[in-house]
This record gives sequence, structure tokens and C-alpha cells, in this order.
Amino acid sequence: MSRSIMQKNRLGSGACTDASKRIDFSFNGKAYQGVAGDTLASALLANGVDVVGRSFKYARPRGIVGHGAEEPNAIIQLGSGAATVPNLKATQVELYAGLEAFSVNGWPSVDFDLMGVIGAFGRLMPPGFYYKTFMYPKKLWMTYEHFIRKAAGLGATPVERDPDTYDKLNQHCDVLVVGAGPAGLVAAREAARAGARVIIADEQSQFGGSLLASTQTLDGIAATDWVAQLVAELQGFDNVQLLPRSTVFGYYDHNFLAILERRTDHLGLTADQGARQRLHRVRAKQVVLATGAFERPLVFAHNDIPGVMSACSVSTYINRYGVLPGNKLVLVTTNDSAYQTALDWHQAGRQVVAVVDTRTDPQGDSVNAVKALGIDVIDGHAVIEAQGSKRVKGALVAPINADGTAVTGSARGLNCDLIASSGGWSPAIHLSSHTGAKPQWDEQIVGFRPGESKQQERSAGACRGTYSLAACLAEGGNAGAEAAKLAGCGDGTIHFAAPVCQEYAQQPQQALFLLPHTQSTSRAPSQFVDFQLDVTAGGVELAVREGFESVEHVKRYTALGFGTDQGKLGNINGMAILANALGQSIAETGTTIFRPSYTPSTFGALAGRDVNQLFDPERYTAMHRWHVEQGAEFENVGQWKRPWYFPQSGETMFDAVNREGLAVRNSVGILDASTLGKIDIQGPDAAEFITRIYTNSYLKLAPGKCRYGVMLKEDGMIFDDGVCACLGDNHYLMFTTTGGAAGVLAWLELWQQTEWPELQVYFTSVTDHWTTATVSGPNARKVIAKVCADIDLSNQAFGFMDWRDGTVAGVKARVFRISFTGELSYEVNVPAHHGRHVWEQLMEAGAEFDITPYGTETMHVLRAEKGFIIVGQDTDGSMTPSDMNMDWVLGKNKTFSYLGKRSLERSDTTRDNRKQLVGLKTLVATEVIPEGAQIVFDSKQKIPMSMQGHVTSSYYSACLGHSIALAVVKGGLNRLGQIVYCPLADGRIIAAEIVSSVFYDPKGERHHVE
Amino acid sequence: MSSNSHVQTPLHYLHGAFNKTGVDRALFNDQVDCGVVIKEAPLSAHLNLRGDAEDSAFCAAVAAVLGVALPREPGFCNHHQSASIYWLGPSEWCVITIDGDAAAIEAALREKLSGHISIVDVSGGQTLINLRGANVETLLKKSTVYDCQALAAAKPGQCRAVQTTFAKASAIISNRCDGSYDLVIRRSFADYIGQWLLDAGAEFGCRIEG
Repeated sequence: MSRSIMQKNRLGSGACTDASKRIDFSFNGKAYQGVAGDTLASALLANGVDVVGRSFKYARPRGIVGHGAEEPNAIIQLGSGAATVPNLKATQVELYAGLEAFSVNGWPSVDFDLMGVIGAFGRLMPPGFYYKTFMYPKKLWMTYEHFIRKAAGLGATPVERDPDTYDKLNQHCDVLVVGAGPAGLVAAREAARAGARVIIADEQSQFGGSLLASTQTLDGIAATDWVAQLVAELQGFDNVQLLPRSTVFGYYDHNFLAILERRTDHLGLTADQGARQRLHRVRAKQVVLATGAFERPLVFAHNDIPGVMSACSVSTYINRYGVLPGNKLVLVTTNDSAYQTALDWHQAGRQVVAVVDTRTDPQGDSVNAVKALGIDVIDGHAVIEAQGSKRVKGALVAPINADGTAVTGSARGLNCDLIASSGGWSPAIHLSSHTGAKPQWDEQIVGFRPGESKQQERSAGACRGTYSLAACLAEGGNAGAEAAKLAGCGDGTIHFAAPVCQEYAQQPQQALFLLPHTQSTSRAPSQFVDFQLDVTAGGVELAVREGFESVEHVKRYTALGFGTDQGKLGNINGMAILANALGQSIAETGTTIFRPSYTPSTFGALAGRDVNQLFDPERYTAMHRWHVEQGAEFENVGQWKRPWYFPQSGETMFDAVNREGLAVRNSVGILDASTLGKIDIQGPDAAEFITRIYTNSYLKLAPGKCRYGVMLKEDGMIFDDGVCACLGDNHYLMFTTTGGAAGVLAWLELWQQTEWPELQVYFTSVTDHWTTATVSGPNARKVIAKVCADIDLSNQAFGFMDWRDGTVAGVKARVFRISFTGELSYEVNVPAHHGRHVWEQLMEAGAEFDITPYGTETMHVLRAEKGFIIVGQDTDGSMTPSDMNMDWVLGKNKTFSYLGKRSLERSDTTRDNRKQLVGLKTLVATEVIPEGAQIVFDSKQKIPMSMQGHVTSSYYSACLGHSIALAVVKGGLNRLGQIVYCPLADGRIIAAEIVSSVFYDPKGERHHVE
Repeated sequence: MSSNSHVQTPLHYLHGAFNKTGVDRALFNDQVDCGVVIKEAPLSAHLNLRGDAEDSAFCAAVAAVLGVALPREPGFCNHHQSASIYWLGPSEWCVITIDGDAAAIEAALREKLSGHISIVDVSGGQTLINLRGANVETLLKKSTVYDCQALAAAKPGQCRAVQTTFAKASAIISNRCDGSYDLVIRRSFADYIGQWLLDAGAEFGCRIEG
């Protein structure tokens, strides 16, 4: 450990820190030391660092206010480089050796900020300033926005890849307990005792919640010792999962909750082993919310000067961390609970200048304890203004009237460097609100309680406005037992006696939020409501004067609660000030609705392991590794990886596709067609069913025969196509497109189950079972003959559109004589575990014919030469068979009709001038039109031109020696021989002649070859 | 069938694959404890069976041929010796016979069954893998939203089986009496699921065996 650096505000070890273990860290480039158990915030306070950042709009210097998720000011960037993390709250960052942190706001430094100049003109930046100023001219908004965002400094995202890993766990439990403070701990214990599967999560590094900073005893032992005992007890249960450092950040429908567990963030920037963070996706039967409460700061002039803090946070720094964030304390309060802070401060040996109580003659137990120490309690007064610039130097105190609305006498100054304030407590109802429960204002607790539950959850302890420790413990136990019972575990009996703890008599608090000033709110120095976004009491009142009445509108106009702290400190004060300005009650004004996330979560955790090669499944055929070994380039077709082309050394894609295509036309090629969808159809009504689905008839298709079919959606538009084979009586095999397989199977099931349940037919996907090797080309028969002895391959015995059972390369196979290339083709189907073997045997058999593996690109060229469409490429969901010049596929005499038939008779589908499929032959043979190019009849017309169609497929055909395209053109079939033009984005215009879509072997002699 | 030396099961290429964070496979491999060991069954007979569960003759015939009663309750799998029948739906089952011959089973079933049925050999399209080890349940939690821990305990002859999502693919998951789990996965997704399991199991070690 390096030389010790003075920590001027370090009192010693706190309940959770060990002052003997020093930890080096840096903040804004300067070296400091903290101790084991510190947060970055407690370490900064120990070192007397006052200014930790600059505010969003006015760039005012800001110091640490809170000690947890509510902190609005201490927003920091952790580390640099790939693993840097922006916008963390220093109060939630556990200190580790070598930690480097920077303020996110305030370039070039928090102490001298160029933007601070704007701060000097704060009055010129009222709410809605950005909207008002930058509304016109509109086109400049992008420029303004860029400047504003840069100036506002919302932290920097890393530009490198995230070096960390993240993962997810899908969890299920009977009872999820959120928060491990007193109520949560006992709730978990009762639920566990009842036999429930329990998860208890808490965002802090240690369980205990408020007890970690408490000076109370439970059952006669220190609070922290009692917590340790209970945690050990929970660890003893097999059915309890304890999740520290785990924030339940969202509560969604059906009792689904999301937890972000930080597994290694407390150790350093990057995890050496395992996942840095883990997202727990929890389905809980019952939920106990024990999320505690936030102390509400009071709003007074210049309440944002560093050295103004929440009272409970001051106590937390003393008791939990052993840190005294100042020397001379002035405490301002509306209630009894904050007096504990005066007791703690005094106990720590530093001066309490005064306790300023807005009430008159307070007499609670804590109040009297403070008075007994000789501390000056100034009742009926308020701190109306903090003095100082980068650190509090004093407090202006003045007498106020009974309802706290006006100053009634002259103000005097108190010399101090720390002002702790407490305006009471706000229950942390965020998760309850996520469920849709509407928060209810309660005059007694001066806060919103959780509304009527919308899900299987209940709140216990401070988050439902219960603040006495004994009552929290009792509520927690009841909630745990009740939740367990409703989840089916136990009978709701409480098994553990509530621990004995001190009870303090308290007097009612005063409902006061904005402390009055000698000047009106609009004239007084800034009284901050939302520190992070610089929303003032005057700003809220101005919004009302400008006509905003709804709390939701005021929120958006002033940005109240929009920061990364989500207004945990400021929202209720803002609503109270709004209610007052509107002359109505807080209950009438209502609150904005909390939504997930409770605190920010990382994208990494949300992505989990679904990244890189696991982002989306890659589906492989049985021959995939062979293709990889041959150096194939792959194309994504749905989730499948299909060989796109097989480049030989030095070949471009153009070269490879030309070579592959010529090989098929002149000798023989081989294609992996395994990815085509395949559906096995069995049942007495199979033929009838298929005939209703396809446009043509299958009633007379004999075993051993295949037929090509097109299926339509109800609107008459082509949805899928493929060959269907009759395997035997009442037994068919339907081929679908690769991408359409799942959709077609669902379509068949839909119609069978919902519309035609009387048809007896079953469907089974066999896509994965069969591997298909398509051998295509004039020498295909010779290749098959070498590896297949038991099928008569003669044209008479095994004609085009026939299929046969047989043995290929020693494996039982189904061989289909169907063709997508226009050449003599055999599609050899074998069970996939034989796939690679059969493929390799076919390659070997074809070697003497120079058999050439070809990919999807060559397949596309070959089929386009034949004018065969690809559904989804040449069609787009608005094309009928007639549009595709495929009237021949429409069954004219079907007894039952077929899906989509009626729509083919609509006026729109029968009108003239629909786009029709034609071929295009470019006038310059080597020019290939880009796919998607628009077609015009007159290339000289002015823009916007009259578009007459578009190119759907376009290639260079090596076999034909010129470029070919398929296109849909308005009235195209009546325009054969006409010249059309494709104006391109680069200014070129390609001229082409409309021709038949069948470019090659129009009579089909090649696939019928003897 | 499995005697054919050229046969490749779907996970064939991943047999012997190993992943453990911070452990160099070349140095240790099998010497390292793995929280999960995945073993792919040899090539087996997988058949998809459709029929009327209310037809007692159908149920009796299936039981007679396979030696296993047809499970009629959702989410159950009955098994005896090497044969298992998984309930997939009210009229759909998956029959798996380890090392069996699908064609022979289909022929035997067709001999006994009548009426509206469907029997489809899907042996090439799926594979059965067994996941065992101390961290199996954690690995399942990473991979599926189904609550596998809540499955009723497996007993001899009967276990629970659910068809559900697995990572971004699907699987039939069933529990075994020895605390391990069987997964039936589709061939085309097998590589993805294998890679997924190796990745998800890295923190406690994961190995795939043939």
C-alpha cells in the first residue's frame, strides 16, 4: 500500500468500513485514499471533496446530497477506454483499488467550467427555454441539439467493443422479496420457514438497508449484528436465494420482474472471469416489496450549494462509513426523525450549531434528547437561504408563520459548513407503480402510499409509509407469511417473534416542502427542486402561469424528474409546489407515474449471451462443414446458412457464378437443397386438403408423381410455391420455400384446426430429417447411375416430375426428377445423418464429368434463364398467379374452390394494366440492371417520372452471353418488343427490351431429355 | 443403422468440445471438472406419431408394439428400456428408441394400427442429448424460460417432458431419475444449441461427448 494520504473527514471505521484497509483511487485525475467498505461518495466526502459535478443547465457547482439511488449530483464516469461506464452515481459505486472516476458534467474541470458563464444568466433560461429558443428555424434544431447535448455532458459512451460478458437467468420462485432492510429480511425468513422458494434481492453490497446506519439495538444487540445473524439464518435455508448488489428495476405484467445483478463491478472495470452483470428474469408467484423510503430534502434558496445534504445521508456517512462530511452542522427539519442526525453528529464530536425546526415547541423523545445535550433548537423557524458558492459558509434563518408559508421576522445568519435538511419521507413506491397501482396521497405520513395492488404483491415497511422499526418488522413478518401462504406454502402462521427494539415517541411532522423566503418565489434566489435538471420552485410556478396544469405536462415542460435519478428526491416537492400554485391539494394534483427502469441498466445485461455468433441461430445442413472446407461463401436464407457460391482461387463472385452456371448447362452440377421446407401429410382427406390449399388439383395425382403448385393467401396473392409429391395412398410430401417452411406449416394447421376440422389429415415437418442433393445437368443421369443400381433411370421408367424409392450410395433414398434449372435433374433425398456421405459419393461419381458444386447465386441465375419465379423475390405479397403469367397453375374445375380464388375475381385483380412478369434484355449485353430499378417508358420526361414497374431479378447469364432480368411492368405482356428505361441513382439510364420471361429452352426439351 | 461408419449425428462435429473460463483445453481437457457434461445419444429411431388418444385400440396397439404405454396426460414421457414416448400434444407423440431401427418400428406399428393415423420417421431430423452434472439446473435457467425445477420428480418408467423454447431455438426437455436432463433438439439447430451450451456453461465448465 502506498503512503497514506490524509482523509480529513475520516472518523474511523464505520459499521461497514474498515479504516485500517486503505484503498487508492483517483477522482478527476487527482489521487485520493478511501477505505475498505467505502462507496466512491463516502471516500470523496472523507477527503473533503466538495464539488463533484456541475448542474445540467446552469452549470452550478454541485456536491453530494444523498447516499444511494436518490443521488442527483454525484454523476460520474468510471474509467476510460473500452470498459468505461458513464453516468454512475458515486453513492452506488463501491470503491476498489485503482478506481478512476471523472465528473460527467463540467469540462474542462468542475472547478472552472466554461459553461458556468451561462449559469450566470440563469434567469434567462426559464423552463421550456430550449423549446422556446430553438424552435425556429426548424432545420437548425439538429445543430442546436448537438451543441446542447455536448454542453450538457451526459457522459461518454465507449467507442470500442465492450470487453465484458453478461448473461441471463430465468428464475422462478414462490416469493420474491425486494429489499433486504428490516421488513424484507423478516419477510424472507417467514416465507422460507413456510417452505416457499424465496429470492431476496437488494441493490446494496450488504443486506440490512437502514439498519446498516442505525444506532438502535434489536433483541439487545447492535443492528448490524442482528442483520448478520439473520442473513446467516437465511443462508441456512436450501430454498432461499440471496442476491446482494441486485437491483429489481422493473415490475412487469404477470408478476414478471427483472433484476440486474452486478457481479464484478465492485472488483474493477472488467471481469476477469465470468459475467460482469447478470439479468435475472423472475416469474414470482408472490412479491413482497420492502423497498424503503427516501428522505425528502427541503427546498430553500441556494439549497444546491455543496454542503447541503439529506439528514439521513449525513447519519449514514457517520454510522455506516465513519465519515463526517463537514465540521459545523445546521439541521433544518419538519419532523422528529431528523433529530437523530444531530445526535449522531454530536456523538461524533463535531459541533451542531443549531437544529432549526419549522414547528413550534416540538417535544418528541429525540427532540428532548437533543435539547438535553445543550444543542440549540430554534423552533418556528426555517433555513431560508444557504450561503456560500463552492461550499456552504452559513445559513440564513428566519421565523416563519405556523403554516410555513411566510417569513414573519428578520433573518439572521448562522455560521456553518453543512446544512442537513429533512422534509419527511417519501415511500419508494416505484415498483408498486410499475404494476399500474395508482399512488395514494396520505396526509398522515405526508407522502404517497402504494395504491391498490394490481398484481400478486404487497408492500411492507417504509415503502408503505410505516416508519417505526418495530412496526416495519411486524409488517415484514406478516407480509412474508401471507405471501408464502398465497403461493401455496404454509398456512400464514408467523413463526418468529418480532425482535425487541426501542420505540421513540414522536410528534406529527409538518407538511412543508418549500421553505419561504423574504422575497417571493419568483424573485428569491433559486430554490432547487430537481438538482440534476436544474428545475426550481420558481420554474414550476412559471409553468403554471404559462398555462400548464397537469402534473404530466408540467413534468415535461420543466423536465422535473427527467434525470437519471428519476426525481427520487425532487418529484414530491415539485408536485407539492405545483399543487400550491394551482391552489389545490396534492391528492388532487396527483403524481407522475413511475416506469421501469428504477435505476439505469446496461445494454450488455439486457443482451446477455445473445451476441456475436449466438445473436441469432445459424441453421446448418448436414453438408455444411463440407461447404466450409471447400471455401464456400455463404448467404443467409432465413436462419439457414446456404452456400452462395464456391470461389476457386483467384475467382471473383462473377467468375465463380459464370463457371458454376456453365458447368450445369454443359455437364453437371450439384446443389445442397436441404433447406427447402418439407411437410409430410397423411390422412384419408390429405388430397382434398392439399387441393384446397394449392390453386391446382392433386386429387388425381398418382403415387410416384409430383406436381408444382402455388398457394395463395385469402387475398389471392401468392404466398408460397413448391412441388408436392404423392408418396402413397393418403400420403403426400409437400416442399415449401426455405424461408416459408414454418409459415406454411402454421397455415396448414390453422385451416385444418379452425376451418376444416372435419378433414382427417395430419402434418409433420420433415425439413430437418431429409438432406437433399440436387444433381443437375446433361450428365446428371450418368452420375446417378453410378451410385444407384435399383432405380430404372430411363426416361420411360422415370420421367420428368416422377419420384422413385431406391438406394443411392448404399443409403435408402427418395429421388425426385424435378428441376429448378431447366436441366435434367435428380433431387436425391436421404436421412440427414447420411447426408454428407451421400454428397461425397455423388461428388466422387461425378468427378469424371467434372461435377461442380454450385450455390444459391448460380441457382438464381439458372432459374431466371428459365423464367422460374422465386416467391418473395419476384413476388412481394401483391402478385397474383396471373400477374406472374402463370394462369396455367389455376385449377378451373375444382369442386371445392381453393384459398384465394374468390379474390382473383375482384375488380382490382382482374383490371388491365396490372404489373405483369416479363423478361428484360438490355440493349447493351454486358449491362446488368440493379435489382429494384424502376422502369419508365419515356426516359426524357421530367422528374417525377411516371414509374411503370420495377426489376425483380437481374443477372448476367454466361450461358446466353448477355444480361437478363425479370421485371414486373404495367401491362407488360402486351408490350413485348417495346423498349423501356431504367434511370439509376447515379444518372445512368439502362435501356432494355421487353421479352418473354423464359430466356432459355422455352420448349423445355432439356429437362424432358431422353 | 448405427453400424454404418459414415453416419454423422447432428452434434458429431462438437464431440470432444470443451469450454471452461480460464482453462486451456489443450492442457487439461478431460482432467478438468465440468459442471455440465453433455452426451449425445447414438443414432436412434425417432418417429412422430399421430392418432386418436381416445381410441383404446390405438393406445393398446402402440403399447403392444413399443412396450411402453402411450402417455395421455400433458407433459409426460413414459419409457421402458430403450424406448420412450413423449407427449407432444393431444394427438401427437414423439417415439424414440435408442439404437433402434425406425423403418422396422414404423412397419410394426402400421401392421397393428388402423384408421386415421400418421407415422413419420424423423430420425435424421433430431437428436437426443443428456445433460448431467452439478450445474445442470443453472445451465437450464440460462437457456429456457421453463421452470425445470418445478417438474415433478422423475420416477422409474415415467418422467416429465416439456416442449419449450431453448435459447432462441426449441427443445423437448425431460428430467431423469438420476437428476440429469434429456433434451431432444432439431438437427439444423444442433450446432447453435451446442455452441450455446458450451458458452453458457463456461463459468463452471462444459464438455460435449459422443
